[in-house]
Amino acid sequence: MDFRSDIIVEYFPFFMEGMGLTILMSVVGVLMGCILGFFIALGKMSPILIVRLPFIWYINFLRGTPLLVQLFLFHYAALPAILGSTTPVISVMVTLSLNSSAYVAEIFRAGLQSIDKGQAEAAHSLGMNKFQVMRHVLLPQAFKRSIPPLGNEFIVLLKDSSLGAMIAAQDILYWGRAASGQYLRVWEPYLMVALIYLVLTLSLTYLLNYLERRLDVK
Amino acid sequence: MISVRHLKKSFGDLEVLKDINVDIKQKEVVVVIGPSGSGKSTFLRCLNLIESVTDGTVTIDGEELTDKKVDINKLRAEVGMVFQQFNLFPHKTVLENITLPIVTVKKWSKQDAEKKAKDLLQKVGLLDKAKVYPESLSGGQKQRVAIARALGMEPKVMLFDEPTSALDPEMVGEVLGVMKQLAEEGMTMVVVTHEMGFAKEVGDRVIFMDEGYVVEENEPKQLFDNPQHDRTKAFLSKVL
Repeated sequence: MDFRSDIIVEYFPFFMEGMGLTILMSVVGVLMGCILGFFIALGKMSPILIVRLPFIWYINFLRGTPLLVQLFLFHYAALPAILGSTTPVISVMVTLSLNSSAYVAEIFRAGLQSIDKGQAEAAHSLGMNKFQVMRHVLLPQAFKRSIPPLGNEFIVLLKDSSLGAMIAAQDILYWGRAASGQYLRVWEPYLMVALIYLVLTLSLTYLLNYLERRLDVK
Repeated sequence: MISVRHLKKSFGDLEVLKDINVDIKQKEVVVVIGPSGSGKSTFLRCLNLIESVTDGTVTIDGEELTDKKVDINKLRAEVGMVFQQFNLFPHKTVLENITLPIVTVKKWSKQDAEKKAKDLLQKVGLLDKAKVYPESLSGGQKQRVAIARALGMEPKVMLFDEPTSALDPEMVGEVLGVMKQLAEEGMTMVVVTHEMGFAKEVGDRVIFMDEGYVVEENEPKQLFDNPQHDRTKAFLSKVL
């Protein structure tokens, strides 16, 4: 079997462009996911069932349905209905943000609930109010414990962003499919696509390991 | 100073405190003893409302803690508490553990808070540990930092919940030493402990609790040498 490296060479600039978009969509997804996830975690920990219920079902829906189905739902139905129109990139970013917020919320909740209750008791006994206890005592410790699972979530998100190719967001996989379609070859483009994702996830893994060591996560 | 009236506390169907009436005077050191499950820790935790009260009132220095309208955070700041498990903040240095509540609750400047914290560390003999994190301290050192942290709020009363029970035996003395010094300086203290030696030496009064009631209270010498109730006698015969 001959290996046509010229296809990879020709498409290389497009793969790099696709990589940029993949990184952008993943970073936006994980950042928005963290911000939203934090508030959803707080909502889900409310002692009042009526307040808790919408957050429980938000998480149930986003974790319990396939990401591709969510992507189609947002791209073809929800976002056009709300915004009037949408682009593939916006749809992917919105879907990834909401989807990851559900997972991140559970990560934060687990982190907060893993902190010994003596910590909050001690802080309250010193006269700190609920907000101060959360801000100065519980959150810093919970966040530190959340870093390893957050890193995993980021890696999963980066790979899942490839679903964007299904609605023609011009990410790495999109260009692989384009190359495959043009030359009617399957090995070269898809191996190249797999390789780029692997480089990205491995880089991220090393970066996260380094961060964990720096922050002395246990 | 502290007045407890008809205090009751239940956890679900389990009634832990049945009808507690206790008065504690200023500068008094009251030691609470009793078998495990007698409610003595719960009683102590009700004195700053870390544990919510089912019924009855707790009044400290004229202010009723159990009144729904009071600012409970403000009152708690005036009641220091030291826990069996220390509960230092592991992500803060020793110095920051002490300054955090002074800055956030008392709204002091960072400089003033640090000066205060260093004075307190000096007092408990740990000034050289100011910059380290709690994990590198021994149990006895952790508990002394916890005492310094509580003192940073300049409380009117200090509550001690079995402060030496989680310590290795050779570290009990250093913590009791700090507590004794506090008592000599005139701090009002309520101490739940199994250290009968401390109760005898430092306590002005000993309260014996069992099954959610105050069974007997008296001066240490009287209570230890001449207990009036059978339950007190039975308990003391086991621990002394």
